[in-house]
Amino acid sequence: VQGQGQPQRHEPAGKCRDVQHVSRRGLLRSTLGGAVGAAIGGRTVFEAEAAAAAVPPPKKLLLLFLSGGASQLETFDPKPDSKYGGPFRPIATSIPGIQIGELLPHTATILDRLAVIRSVNTGETSHFRGHYLLQSGRKVPGYPVLGSVMARLLERPGDELPGYVTMRRHHPQAYTDVGDAGFLGPRYEGVMIIDGKPPANIARPDAIDAVTVKTRDHIRRLTNRRFLQRRVPRSIQSYSDSYHKADALMRRREVFDLERESAADRARYGDHHFGRNCLLARRLLEAGVHCVKVAHHDWDAHFENFHWQRQRCLEFDRTFVTLLDDFRDRGLLDETLVVIMGEMGRTPRINYYGGRDHWGDAWSMAFAGCGIKPGVVLGKTNALGTEVVDGAVDAGDLFHTIMAAMGLDPKGNYQVGGRDNPIADPAMSAIREVLA
Amino acid sequence: LSLSATQSRRLFAWALLMVGVVPHLGAAETPFAEQIDRIIDAAHRRDGLQGAKLADDAEFLRRVYLDLAGVVPTQKQAREFFEDSAEGKREKLIDRLLAAPTFSLQMARVFDAMLVERRVATIPSYDFKPAEWQDWLATAFRENMSWDRLSAAMLQSDGTSDTGAAAARFYLVRDVEPHLLARDIGRLFLGKDLQCAQCHDDPRIKTYLQADYYGLYAFVSRLKHFRDDKQKMNFVTEKAAGDVSFTSAFSGEMGKTNPLLPGGEMIADPTLVKGKEYQVKPEKGQMGIPTYSRRLQLARQLPRKQTIGFSRNITNRLWDQMLGRGLVHPLDMHHPDNPPSHPELLDRLSQRFEATGYDIRGLLREIALTRAYQRSSRLPEGADPKRPPAARDFVVAALRPLTPEQLGWSVMQVTGRLSSRIERFDRKLREAAEKKPEKNPEKASAKTPQTGPPPIDSDAPAGPDERNWQAHRQAYRELATELSGLFTVFSRLPGQPDNGFQPSVDQALFLLNSEQMVKFTGDFPLLDRLTPLADKPDDLVSGLYLSILARLPADEERREVAGLLAGTKTVEERRAVIRRIIWGLLVSAEFRLNH
Repeated sequence: VQGQGQPQRHEPAGKCRDVQHVSRRGLLRSTLGGAVGAAIGGRTVFEAEAAAAAVPPPKKLLLLFLSGGASQLETFDPKPDSKYGGPFRPIATSIPGIQIGELLPHTATILDRLAVIRSVNTGETSHFRGHYLLQSGRKVPGYPVLGSVMARLLERPGDELPGYVTMRRHHPQAYTDVGDAGFLGPRYEGVMIIDGKPPANIARPDAIDAVTVKTRDHIRRLTNRRFLQRRVPRSIQSYSDSYHKADALMRRREVFDLERESAADRARYGDHHFGRNCLLARRLLEAGVHCVKVAHHDWDAHFENFHWQRQRCLEFDRTFVTLLDDFRDRGLLDETLVVIMGEMGRTPRINYYGGRDHWGDAWSMAFAGCGIKPGVVLGKTNALGTEVVDGAVDAGDLFHTIMAAMGLDPKGNYQVGGRDNPIADPAMSAIREVLA
Repeated sequence: LSLSATQSRRLFAWALLMVGVVPHLGAAETPFAEQIDRIIDAAHRRDGLQGAKLADDAEFLRRVYLDLAGVVPTQKQAREFFEDSAEGKREKLIDRLLAAPTFSLQMARVFDAMLVERRVATIPSYDFKPAEWQDWLATAFRENMSWDRLSAAMLQSDGTSDTGAAAARFYLVRDVEPHLLARDIGRLFLGKDLQCAQCHDDPRIKTYLQADYYGLYAFVSRLKHFRDDKQKMNFVTEKAAGDVSFTSAFSGEMGKTNPLLPGGEMIADPTLVKGKEYQVKPEKGQMGIPTYSRRLQLARQLPRKQTIGFSRNITNRLWDQMLGRGLVHPLDMHHPDNPPSHPELLDRLSQRFEATGYDIRGLLREIALTRAYQRSSRLPEGADPKRPPAARDFVVAALRPLTPEQLGWSVMQVTGRLSSRIERFDRKLREAAEKKPEKNPEKASAKTPQTGPPPIDSDAPAGPDERNWQAHRQAYRELATELSGLFTVFSRLPGQPDNGFQPSVDQALFLLNSEQMVKFTGDFPLLDRLTPLADKPDDLVSGLYLSILARLPADEERREVAGLLAGTKTVEERRAVIRRIIWGLLVSAEFRLNH
C-alpha cells in the first residue's frame, strides 16, 4: 500500500519551519501553560496578571461557514487576466490597490475592516474531511471543532445559555455534522438550529401541566438532598446543574425566536436562510452564547459555477456587511471575532459544465472583528491561481490564529479524562501578520 | 556450623522451593476475592485511608442488578432480597444474576459500547445491522465464550461464515479503514492508544513508537470493504500484496515494516508461488481471498498470553466496568509512566484471568464478591465530602452514571413495562410449545435475526431455560424501538472514550419535556398496581420507592408523599399525583446514578 503509510504533511508548502524544533518546544511550553490556562481561561500567567486589574469580558466567535467551498476567484482572489479567470471583473476596494470580485460590491467598500488571506493551502478536497479540518485544525479525527473549543474554554460558572450554537438547513448534504466536541464530550456539543427551529424539547408540551412541573421538581429536589448526604457531591451537583440550566434555557427560549426582532432588522438581514440565521446569531451572541456557527450552503458549484457563485454572493455580500455594521454600532465587534471560511476553494480550471471543482491548494478566507489587524491582505497565488507563491498557511495555522485573536493560548492543553491534549496542533502556529 | 557444598546446594534448593511454593499454597486457601481485598486494604493502611463501610442491602442490590443485569431490580426482587436472612445471600444473588438471560444481554451492550464505541459506518447499510451484531455478542456471552476466542472471532471474521459473520462489524463499522483499525486494535485489545505515533514516535510516551503503530497497521493495511450489490451484503476483503513504509514527521527517518505486535517479533510473509497469491482471485463483483492472510495472522497471534497487554487490557477494562475506574487509567494508556494504581492487583487479576482460560463471567464474579465492589457510596463517618478521596484509591464506591441502555431499560423496568412484556412473550412461547411439543428447540435459536425477530408462534423452544432466554430477547428487542430516542440523547460521542459523567442540558430537557417521557409516564402497569393502595398509604409509598429506587422510603419521604396524596378525592386525581411523584423520582440524581 505504497503511500498510505505516509504521515500527514505537517508543514504548509512554501513556509520554512523546523517542525521538530517547533513542536518539541511547543509541547514543553504547552504543558506548563496548560495547567495555568485551565485555571484562568487559557491566557498565560503574565497576561492574566496584567489583566487582573480589569478583567475583560470573554470574546465571542462568529463563524460564517461557506459550505461546499466558495470560489476564491469569484470572491477574494480574482484573476481577471488568466484563462481561468471567468466572466466577472474585479472591482476596487476600500484598500488602495486591492481588488476583489465584482460579486461582492458591498464587501469591497469595507474591505479595510477585514484581514484577508489569499494563500490557504490545506490540500484537502473532501467536503467531510475539509469541514472537520478547518474547524478542528487537525486531520487526525477526534478533536473538538471550534464551537466546542469555545464552549469549553470560555465557559463561565454563571452561564445560562449553551456555549455553542450551530445553524444549518435540513438537507442530506449539509456536510456540516462532521465534527463535534470530540474528546471534550457531549457537554460541549453545539446546540443545533436546523431550518431556524429552536432546539428540541425546549418548550413544555401541553400534556404536562404546571402542577406536574411543581410536584416533579419538589420530589426531585427532596430526593437529591437526601441522596447528597455523605456522598461525593460532584456528579450529583452537576446533574442538578443540568436541570437548572434546562430551566434557564426554557425561560429564555425567546432568544431563539426571531419574531422578537424588528421587521426592519429582518428585512435588512434578508429574507433567506443565511440572513435569518445571521440575525439570530446576533441575537444569540448578544444574549451570551460564546460561539455561533452559521452555515451558508450551496457553494459547491460543479455545474454553472458562475451562476451559482453569483447567487451565493448576492445573499452573502449584503447580509455580511449589514451584520458587520450592526456589530460595530452595537459595540459587539470589539469582542467578537468573525471568521469567513469554507472547507475548501474551487479549481481555477473551469470544467466542461462551466463548473469549478474541489480545490484545496490555493484559496482564500477572511477575518473581521477583535484581535485582527484590519486592512491586511496576506499571501499570494500565482497568475493562474493554481498555487500559493507566498505566505502559505494551513488549517492548523488558521486555528492557532483564531485562538490568538480570541485572547486564548493556542499552546495550552486540555486536561480531559486524565490525559493532556494540546488545544492546537503543536506543529502549527498563529499567523502573526493578521493579528492586531 | 559448616555445610558441605552438596548440603548447601540442597538447602538452597529447598529454600527456593519454599519461597516459590509456600505463598502459593497460602494463596490457594484464601478466596480470590479476599486476595483482591487484601491488596487494596494494604494500600489503604499504607496511605492512612479508611475504606467506606459495606453497602447496605439496598445499595448493593441496585448496583449488582445494574452491573450484571443492566436494569434496576423489580419491586418483587427487591422485597425478596431484603426479606432473605440467609447467610451468603449476596453470593447467591450474584450467581443467579450471572446465570440469567439478562446477563448475556447486558454483556452484549457492555461489549458493544466498548468495541464499537457508538460508531456508525459512514454508510450504515454497508455494515451489519447493530441488532445482528448485538445478537452475536449476546449468544457468545450466553455460551460464556472466552475473551481470547471472542477476540479471535472478531479479528478473523470477514463476514462470510454462516455463524458469527456479524463479528466482522468490528471492521465494517470502521469502514475497514486501516488507520482507524490500527489505532482501535491498539486501544481496545492492547490498552495502548498509539494515535500520536501515526506521524512520529509519541514525544510524551517514550514506549509508544511509530514502528509499533505501523506494525499493527501492517496487519490490516491490505483490508478493504467489499460490497456485494446483488446480495446486498458486506464483507471484509484482503489483497495478497502491499507493503507498509512510514516517515517520521519530526526526524524524517523512514521505516518499512511487516506485521508486528508491539514489543513482539516481526512476522514475515511466506513466499508465494507467482500466480498462486489468491485462493479466490478478486474480480468485478467477486471478493478476493488471498492464499496468505495477514488478518488471520492477527486473529491467531494477538489473542494470546504472549501478547504484551492482551490480558491486562481486558482485565483492567472489566475492573473499570465494575468499579467505575480502571487500575490503569485512562484505559488505553498502559505504559511505564502511567503505572496501575495497584500493580500487584492488576498482575494477579490478569494471571487469574489467563489461568481460567479468559473466563469473563468468572472474573466478574470474583470482582462482584469483593468488599471493594460492595462498599457503600457513602463516605465514612466524619469524612469531608468537599475533599473527596481520589478515585484511584477505591475508598468509597464510585457514583457512576447509568449508561443510556441502563437508563432506558430501568425506566421500562420501574414502570412495569419490561416485565409485563417478558411475561407476555413467555406465555406465548409456552402455549406454542404445549401445542407443538415435537418441535426441535435448536431450530429457533439457529434462525438469524436478519429479518427481525423470528415469529414466536412457530418453532417455539421447549426447555424453560431456552424459552426464558427467547422471551427476554424478544421483549428487549421489541421495546428497544421505543427507547431509540432516549439512547441517542444520552449516548456519548462516537469513537470517543468515556469521559465520565457529563450531564447535558438536552438530556435534562428530554427527561422533562419530550414526547417519549410523556408516553413513558402515561399509563403503565405500576400505576395500576399502586393506585388501588390509596387507602393503605404506607404500602403505597413503600411500593413506590421500592419500584423506582429499589429501597424503602425514609420517614420524611413517607410524610411528603402522604401529604401530596392527602387532598385527592377521585381515583383519577390519585393516579395523577402518583404519576407526578414517579416522574420526580425518575429525574432524581439517585435514579440517574449507579451508586
